[in-house]
Amino acid sequence: MSSTGRRQPLVAVVYSVPLLCEAIASALDDIAEVRTFPGRRDDVVGLLRSVRPDAVVVDDPIESAQIRGWAQNQDLPLVEICLRELKIRVLRDGEWRESTGTSAESIRNAIAGSLYARDPIRS
Amino acid sequence: MSRTKVLVADPFAIFRAGVRNLLRRESDFVVVEAGDLSAVQNVVATRCPDIALIDLELPPVGGVAAVQWLNEHCTAHTIAWSFEPTPESVLGAVRAGANGYLRKDIAPEGLIRSVRGVARGEAALSRDLATLMIEAVHRLSDREGTRDRLFALSSRECEILEHLAQGARNRQIASELTISEFTVKRHVQNILGKLELRSRREAGEFYRAANADLAGVGPLQ
Repeated sequence: MSSTGRRQPLVAVVYSVPLLCEAIASALDDIAEVRTFPGRRDDVVGLLRSVRPDAVVVDDPIESAQIRGWAQNQDLPLVEICLRELKIRVLRDGEWRESTGTSAESIRNAIAGSLYARDPIRS
Repeated sequence: MSRTKVLVADPFAIFRAGVRNLLRRESDFVVVEAGDLSAVQNVVATRCPDIALIDLELPPVGGVAAVQWLNEHCTAHTIAWSFEPTPESVLGAVRAGANGYLRKDIAPEGLIRSVRGVARGEAALSRDLATLMIEAVHRLSDREGTRDRLFALSSRECEILEHLAQGARNRQIASELTISEFTVKRHVQNILGKLELRSRREAGEFYRAANADLAGVGPLQ
């Protein structure tokens, strides 16, 4: 059970490309509850603060930069899908680490790995 | 019911997965995937798709070449797409034979509508991309007009035009090119006549604009 009483961890996907949500939601289907939010809004950190996710996925570099500090403070896994560079990177211990592979499963593995590493009880 | 075979050609696996998941929920589509041109060729070798969604950056030679290859080797309707289309990329894809061009941040229902439309023989082009394409066509025709006018000049006239654009006087040009001032004057009159311009200043402006306009297209002469 997650810290907020949910059965599954909650992953917030802040997106600018709706088609990516299709892939992410499907990949995380059995390990997390996924909520999607159209990006490029004024106060993305405020939104996430109220949603209280266990992990965040974002596809916009500007929003990723906005979320980074907050995610780090909250010790939340942050996954950025870099559309220009065709890569996926994960914020761990304040450092970006490039994920191996660019599939939806790579995101699933990165998020699962980060969640369970952060809170071993969940495993 | 015969289902529409859609080839999704994109180097980004997660993007292919998004399109695949979306289209597979609809009963009228079958989806195949390719991450580069050789994978596209393998798909076509098995069976030509009805529709191919081609990423503009498809490795190794880009989406426009892939659209062209598909048009030469099978009957698939092709749709090119990218994140930030430019007038040139839209026009390039359409000239290569694409039946449409989409933005990759299209809404899922918009993609489904577009793919179904193309399957029926319609073009997939949003209003803003149609505007970009018209802009590119106009630019192209301006460039061709500029080129035609420049081709009317001799190489000596082109040299003198370049000097005019730098603000040189007849005497300076004559000395630089080791010809008489009278000859320079006659060349300038010929240049103005051929380019249908009224003054040396207009000729200089024309040269600078042509240089900027034709940059990357090829040398002026």
